[in-house]
Amino acid sequence: MKNLLPALLLSLLAAPLCAKEELVTLPKRDGVQLTIYNSEDLTLVRETRTLSFKAGENRLQFSWANTLIDPTSVEFQALADKEGNLEVSDTSYPAESHEMLIWTITAKKAASHQVQITYFTSGISWSAEYTGLVAADESAMDLTAYVTVHNRSGEDYEDAEVRLVVGVIHLVEKVINLAQPATSRAMDRKEMEDWARDAPNKSPSGPGRGGGGGMSKPKQIDKAGLSEYYIYSVEGTETILTNWSKRLRSFSVAGVPLKTVYHLNPAKFGPEFTKVLEFKNNEECKLGKEPLPDGLIRLFRQSASGTGYMGALASKYIAKNDEVKISVGSDPEVTLKEKRKSFAKQDLVFQQRGNNRVVSGWTTLEEFEIEVKNFRGREIAVEIHRSAAGDHDFDSEDKPEVENFNTRKFRFALAANSSRKLVFRITTRFGENVRAK
Amino acid sequence: MKLRLFAAALPTALACAIIGLSSPTPAEARIKLATLPDREAVAVRFDHPNQVLVEEERTIALQAGVNNIDFSWAGTNIDKGSIVFRPAAADSKVEILSTSYPPGENALTWAVSSPDARSEKFRISYLMGNIQRETSYQAMVSKDETTCSFKHYFKIRNWSGESFAEADFITRDGKKFEKALSQGEAKRVLVNKWDNVKIKKEYVYDLTRQYEGKVLTDYVLVNSKDIGLGQIPLEFGKVRIYQDDGKGTAAFTGEDWGRFTPIGDEMRLNIGTAQDIKVEFKKMVNDVTNRRGNVYDTDELDQYEIKNFKDSEVILTLVLRVDGEWEMMKDASGFESFERMDNETVKFRVKCPPKGAPVLLKFHYQRKDVW
Repeated sequence: MKNLLPALLLSLLAAPLCAKEELVTLPKRDGVQLTIYNSEDLTLVRETRTLSFKAGENRLQFSWANTLIDPTSVEFQALADKEGNLEVSDTSYPAESHEMLIWTITAKKAASHQVQITYFTSGISWSAEYTGLVAADESAMDLTAYVTVHNRSGEDYEDAEVRLVVGVIHLVEKVINLAQPATSRAMDRKEMEDWARDAPNKSPSGPGRGGGGGMSKPKQIDKAGLSEYYIYSVEGTETILTNWSKRLRSFSVAGVPLKTVYHLNPAKFGPEFTKVLEFKNNEECKLGKEPLPDGLIRLFRQSASGTGYMGALASKYIAKNDEVKISVGSDPEVTLKEKRKSFAKQDLVFQQRGNNRVVSGWTTLEEFEIEVKNFRGREIAVEIHRSAAGDHDFDSEDKPEVENFNTRKFRFALAANSSRKLVFRITTRFGENVRAK
Repeated sequence: MKLRLFAAALPTALACAIIGLSSPTPAEARIKLATLPDREAVAVRFDHPNQVLVEEERTIALQAGVNNIDFSWAGTNIDKGSIVFRPAAADSKVEILSTSYPPGENALTWAVSSPDARSEKFRISYLMGNIQRETSYQAMVSKDETTCSFKHYFKIRNWSGESFAEADFITRDGKKFEKALSQGEAKRVLVNKWDNVKIKKEYVYDLTRQYEGKVLTDYVLVNSKDIGLGQIPLEFGKVRIYQDDGKGTAAFTGEDWGRFTPIGDEMRLNIGTAQDIKVEFKKMVNDVTNRRGNVYDTDELDQYEIKNFKDSEVILTLVLRVDGEWEMMKDASGFESFERMDNETVKFRVKCPPKGAPVLLKFHYQRKDVW
């Protein structure tokens, strides 16, 4: 596979721009670190090299043809230069190339320095995925989290330190737009996500392609908070070739306690009576060491006959101590039916319009019944949200909680193989009957 | 004609000054080419926010009497009306008598009177187009997010058609750097660097900035000497923010446009979203009151449930809007401070305990005379 890494050249002459230069290719990089963001198509590449500088002006050329590097982001920094021997006099972007720059670096004395070059590149992304193996009685699950790095940058990154950033970063310009001339077009974020989803099918990683660096155990991923972000640092180094994806295990926890709650909540889970598995990202649930980045959660159920697929949820970012609710769809063993048991009008108000008397105000009285039946052999929790519109009164002996000004919430536990009926009345005033309190 | 051919033959389209020794008519003078004095100094000034002024000095040998000096250019975008020509010395005995503009040419001729034969230094200045400038900043924020080093870069892209072998480039705040800059080339220079600049981090839920219910993370720095700045107004430009990760490297934590910030004013930079602070809105009361025909008041209670999942307490600023005529009720609760920023906009500061303990901001208000 062709390696298109940026090239670094140092001029031997302390020469002005127009003078003829003698350029030499510099030694290989000492190291490279990729900091990959998941909220934007952005990767911060940090490479270190050891260079020799003459006293006076040194001209350092950095070029990156056929890559997706943002030219405005390329920075030079001397490491461990406490005496301030090196100073960047200027950065020149020659007219003839969009993919090259030249640093003029003044050295007070001849010396060898380790230098760091950083830049943004587009085309590398990462995503999180989770697999939950739910116990047959749904009381707990074994949760495994993965991170997958996708490389479509056009570059091979060999033996790179990999850091993954969890968080939503603010960018005012897309790196891809800065990296590419207007004529060529790269994948947008959505296309990249689509590609990343399919990537494991297109390019299965095989042995010998950096598939673990000869380690017999999965690599550790260290997690640390920084400002509003979490940085996942993958142990050791990784080789990530262009057009390849690589999946690593982030963590694995057995026996995460689960709560099964059946919800009727159209605003959150749609119009169906939905089975939702709930847990918290906290210590009680054997989690809570770090937030869970947004990603797909796939649930499987263990049973005597094998493993069955329960469903999947595109989860949003889950903060430490926050709760997680995974909808697994409707359950034929737990049913809900709503009936309108009665309907009546009262308090009709009339208005004279010419020769006609017309209704200008009225009030409706409706009685509803919701019956929930649990055919399962275990107790379940139920939460029902019921909304009403307009100027209304909501009345029920089942003591619902006020969710908001037009929604009531019923919560109860339902024993195995039992049912419960909720009854409520809604009185709604229309026209002139609408109250002013 | 000779002159124009000569100018066009230059590798880059330099503006050139040519002196005619003495002549009764400008046309004749332009034929009597004597010298092409070199530029001794060139300054490219960016004082104006939109225009670039080039100022050059040339020493011209004059004869006693009237001298005609030709100035022509090709391939550059010089504003002809902006050209100013004067002796460099304030007490010069030389006088500029007139300026003539030949038809259809990028050229002009000055008639200059000199009391004797002498070498005189002249200053020529003009506005030149197609020189772009760009200001950018880089903030390296400390691990504890209380200070940063703030670097100020100035970048020039030269599309003017002229190459500057050596010129002084002078920024709006008077910073001068001497560089060569070819046609088409861009150059970026670090012009200022301030260390230990104090910054303030703020969490903001602002419905005037975004409608998705996200909490934004801002850094606020005041352009004042108190915090380590305050020396120059800060030009509009992109600010890229990095943070020391405590492991010897830095992570990029976001970027924003920094608006033009005069001395004493504040620059607010959004770095991203604070995902560990969640705000859930519920309208708990929405009643009609005091109905009078088709006119009524409303009684509204907007509840914001805030959960801060961080390990430490934070202060969240909520900027909310209510349209029309309204007043806040006395039983509004859950906030440390309240400010009515304008008729429609209110700002609450809410103390949020750590580890997800919910806090309720109850914004109770009454709208008046709605129809």
